[in-house]
This record gives sequence, C-alpha cells and structure tokens, in this order.
Amino acid sequence: MVTVQYSNDYKDDKNEALHTQYIFRTDVPHGGPAFHAASTGTSAHTPHKWEPGYPAAFGFGKINRFIKRGAGQRNDSKVPRRNDALKHGLNGFGSAGSKSFRALAVFGAGVSGLLSFATIAYSDEAEHGLECPSYPWPHEGILSSYDHASIRRGHQVYQQVCASCHSMSLISYRDLVGVAYTEEETKAMAAEIEVVDGPNDEGEMFTRPGKLSDRFPQPYSNEAAARFANGGAYPPDLSLITKARHNGQNYVFALLTGYRDPPAGVSIREGLHYNPYFPGGAIAMPKMLNDGAVEYEDGTPATEAQMGKDVVSFLSWAAEPEMEERKLMGFKWIFVLSLALLQAAYYRRLRWSIYKSRKLVLDVVN
Amino acid sequence: SDEEVVDPKATMEVTCKPKCVRQLKDYQACTRRIEGDESGSKHCTGQYFDYWQCIDKCVAPKLFEKLK
Repeated sequence: MVTVQYSNDYKDDKNEALHTQYIFRTDVPHGGPAFHAASTGTSAHTPHKWEPGYPAAFGFGKINRFIKRGAGQRNDSKVPRRNDALKHGLNGFGSAGSKSFRALAVFGAGVSGLLSFATIAYSDEAEHGLECPSYPWPHEGILSSYDHASIRRGHQVYQQVCASCHSMSLISYRDLVGVAYTEEETKAMAAEIEVVDGPNDEGEMFTRPGKLSDRFPQPYSNEAAARFANGGAYPPDLSLITKARHNGQNYVFALLTGYRDPPAGVSIREGLHYNPYFPGGAIAMPKMLNDGAVEYEDGTPATEAQMGKDVVSFLSWAAEPEMEERKLMGFKWIFVLSLALLQAAYYRRLRWSIYKSRKLVLDVVN
Repeated sequence: SDEEVVDPKATMEVTCKPKCVRQLKDYQACTRRIEGDESGSKHCTGQYFDYWQCIDKCVAPKLFEKLK
C-alpha cells in the first residue's frame, strides 16, 4: 500500500516552475502517517532548497519519519486537507460497509440458529437415538497405536458371537497376520473353514480347506437369505461399520452394551428389542454380549463391557488397518511442512523486502 | 475362570446413580403422570434419555480403567 509520506514544494533552479514532490513509501500500511506531515517546505524537518541531497534523497527521512510520527497530526493548507478527507472518506466507507456487513452476518446467524432450534424441539428424541458418550479409546491419541491384544480378543468375540449373522467380506485371513495372530496360527484358523473353489479340470466346483488368501466366510449366501433368517432385517457387513456410522466406535460400543428396558409408555413389538442408541429405539438384533459368553485365550474375564471394548477395537482395526502408519506419516509430514513453511515465509519476506521498503518520488511541475 | 465375574459397566452405572438423582426423579414423576394412559401416545423417552445421558457421561471416562 503506497501512502504519501510528505510532499515538498520547491521552485526550480531558474525559479520559474513550481515543482511538487510527492514522496511515496511502500512500507507503511493504509492509514499510516499519510500527509499529516505534508508541508510546503516551511517545516524544519524537510530539507531546504539549498541543502545537499535534496530533492529526492530523503534518506535521513528515517529520522524524519520518526519525528513526524511523533509530531502527530499536522493539518496544512491545500493538499493535506483534500487527501485527509479522501482517506477518511474511504476509511469511513470501508468501516461503515464492514460494520453493516458484520451486523447482517450476525443477524443471519441468529435467525438460522433460532430456526434450527425450533425444528429440533419438535422432533422426537428416539428418532435419532440417544447420543452415545465418548469413551477413552486407547488408540485415539495422535500418536497412539491399536491395542493388538484387544484386537486379538475382539476377533475371537466376532468369530464366536457375531459371525453367525454378520459377514466381514472385505477382510482376508492374511490381514490378521502380524496384527492379531502369527502366520501359523492364521493358517490353522483359515484351514478350519471350507471354501468353494473351481472349476477344476472336469469343470466342476469343489470345496477345499481355507487358505490365508481367502476372505472371511459369509454366514448367508445373499442378502435375501440373510433377511429371511432374521425376520426381514439385514445384519450389516461389519468390515467398515465403525466408519459407516456417525461416531462409529463409540456408537457400536454403546449399542452393544446398551440393551435396557424401554421407558414407560414405550412398547416394542414381538421380534424387536429396545436399544436407546439405535435410531428409533427398536432394533432387530437381540442382546448378544452376555457375561462369560466367550472364554478368552489369555484368561481375561469376559464381561459384557470387556467383550464390547475388544470387539470394537477389532472392528476399528478392520475398518482402518492403515491407522498406525497414517499417524506416523502424518506426524512426520506435518513436522516437515512446518519447517518448510518457516523457510518459505523467511524467503518470501527476504525477496519482498526491497519492494516493501521502496520510496517513489513523483516530481510534478505545477 | 472366575465364576464371580461382574460386569464393571453395570456396577459403575449403579454407583453413578446418586449423581443423576434429579433426572431419575423427573423420570419417575413422568412415569406416575402417564400411568393409566390408554391412548398409547404418552411416553417418557425424554426423561429416560436425560437420565441415561447423565449416567453415560459419568461412566464413560472411567469405565476403560476397569477393563483390560
């Protein structure tokens, strides 16, 4: 932003033309000491006609500027008044404009807030389900990894409690290697299932024991069969469930451990069960996590809450297996980019410094 | 394995009850109000939710300390 710091009138050498020099500075923002110290050469600060280094080299203007800033407003006759009015006029318009815009924005926000309030008040809470609380998951920190022992237990819970109805068709046995089980353990687990493969050389499909490359087995052959077996409700695939539901990890844990008696006045039809966290309150799935339903390999007491925590850890891993690598990468690159930002800022200011401290002299013959 | 295993969430919900007495009383008052209603349109979901939200807020931060 260029701002005239001061002007200087002088007669030229032949004492004929009146020159006016307008000295522009680029290092002062809009609203800097513009024209306050404008003078017609009568002030003691501006160099006189006979002084060396005049007219353009107001290098010692640094001290001048300092003094002029301290000197405060100096309204001189012709030009300063005009420019001041112009500056204040522009300022005035700017501030009035921004003030009214701000007022309009605040009013708009208030109106929309009021409207949204009204709509929430009229809807039924059960429609959205009870808001689930936030649990302190061990893997939720910016540099926290999964609890892999919990993933292992959670897989056991899934396999023994959930897999009879819920598929996880995007997860393969090999994904578990190095995460929850060793390769041998996983191979043995995979070999327990029968997989349809083929066609063979005779053109027939055959069954074989599972391998690491096989996906997790599906309980039903298709969605229609799943619905038929579950009273019309489809048990969703759990591969991505913690990402597919709002606040997924907390929601799934709250849901699994939240089966309670319905409130007074609410009755659930036969075949459905009450769960306050489920939107609408009536869920087809019965309570599946009961104390002691699973016997953990590592001897952990299998309470409802423990099983819930473990299975949600497992489901979180299944939905986001890349999480640990992602967090490491994120930390590393945010650090690197911060350094790069500092370097870029320094370099930009270095290169711009010449333009920001420029002084332009406009020598006008009146 | 230990036969006496008790679900820590259930016990914590009981110990958090004193913190949510106001919501519990509101729910019980609602229950009494709608008693004998035959229309089937009156229910206490709101007070129920308020009570359980209070319990959840009390239980959630400390539950995982009791789990492995």
